[in-house]
Amino acid sequence: MSAEDTGAHVRCRNPIDAAVFADYWLALLAPSDEEAVELHLLQCDPCAARLREVISMAAGVRKIAHDGALRMVVSDALIQRARSEGLRVRQYDVPAGGSVHCTVTAEDDVLVARLAANLTGAERVDLCLCDESGVEQRRLPDIPIHAGGDCVVYQESITFAKAAPDSTMIARLIVLDKSGAERVAGEYTFHHTRTIPGPGPQ
Amino acid sequence: MQIELDDAEIVRQIAAGSAPDAEAELFRRIAPRIRLYGLRHLRDEQASDDLTQEVLITTLEALRAGRLREQEKLVSYVLGICRLTVLGMRRGAQRKERLLEQFGPDLHPAFEPAAPWLDGERLARCIQNLKERERTVLVMTFYDEQAGADVASFLGVSEANVRVIRHRAILLLRQCMGAAS
Repeated sequence: MSAEDTGAHVRCRNPIDAAVFADYWLALLAPSDEEAVELHLLQCDPCAARLREVISMAAGVRKIAHDGALRMVVSDALIQRARSEGLRVRQYDVPAGGSVHCTVTAEDDVLVARLAANLTGAERVDLCLCDESGVEQRRLPDIPIHAGGDCVVYQESITFAKAAPDSTMIARLIVLDKSGAERVAGEYTFHHTRTIPGPGPQ
Repeated sequence: MQIELDDAEIVRQIAAGSAPDAEAELFRRIAPRIRLYGLRHLRDEQASDDLTQEVLITTLEALRAGRLREQEKLVSYVLGICRLTVLGMRRGAQRKERLLEQFGPDLHPAFEPAAPWLDGERLARCIQNLKERERTVLVMTFYDEQAGADVASFLGVSEANVRVIRHRAILLLRQCMGAAS
């Protein structure tokens, strides 16, 4: 691993992959690999720039996750992390077949729904987000399932929720078997009421 | 026309004495790289700046005194000083004030920003477009700082698989963000 010459410049003979830099940044490399990376970085500007890019990306992921702006399935640990950072988490617990009236306020930072279902033994579970008629609008395929298989914690984008008008959303947990056949493991209805003033219909 | 010096020439000129241009070039060249090392090991911008100054001073002292005879060993030498300095900083050893008094205002290399600016909205879209497991691995890794074993447990896969997913997610994210290479 070395830069093309001994000085300032510019072409790298053995560029290090960004994924390796991610491992380096996360302190996941073996000591000998870490030393090789560091020796290389001290003489290679293009690779140093690539590492900066990875650092920047990691910081960006952290900020976006911290802002609660992603729609995704999350772990309990992540919710605890948000709470420990002083973020206000609004959580709705919904049984299979249940419905809730929900909202978000300006003070909320994170919005999650705990969807209860018996997912024991399921090999693949998809989360479908549907409109009020039950027509699928978006599918999160092959989502992670909590240990024990008794629920899924879905985080809605707080940015979206704060701007959303009064509306109804239906979420469905779909279990797929090896043949691809689908079975609904739970359906959950959210009646969202907007409480933050803004543009668009109330 | 400005001709760039290679490391060996920089070392030779500084050892020969009174080479402000060579010293400035050394600072310009290696300060950002030392700072990266600091960010990785100290996780703090200010501490990384302190590390950079200390390592630069120590390296310069060695070069001026002609203690670094094998020019090609400059990089190994700097890395060694980085390690020692980080250890010292972690122990709370503070040579900084004395050294700064001695070298004073000569030592203010223009640091590059730690990381380039990213378009946050675009990054959010790119993250949202990843597969669920890729997104989960990135968030659990970079935000929640979960160990690979915890991520693996949550996803129901092996740690090796988590690594593969993380690498793929980073690749896809960089492609989506239009990374140069």
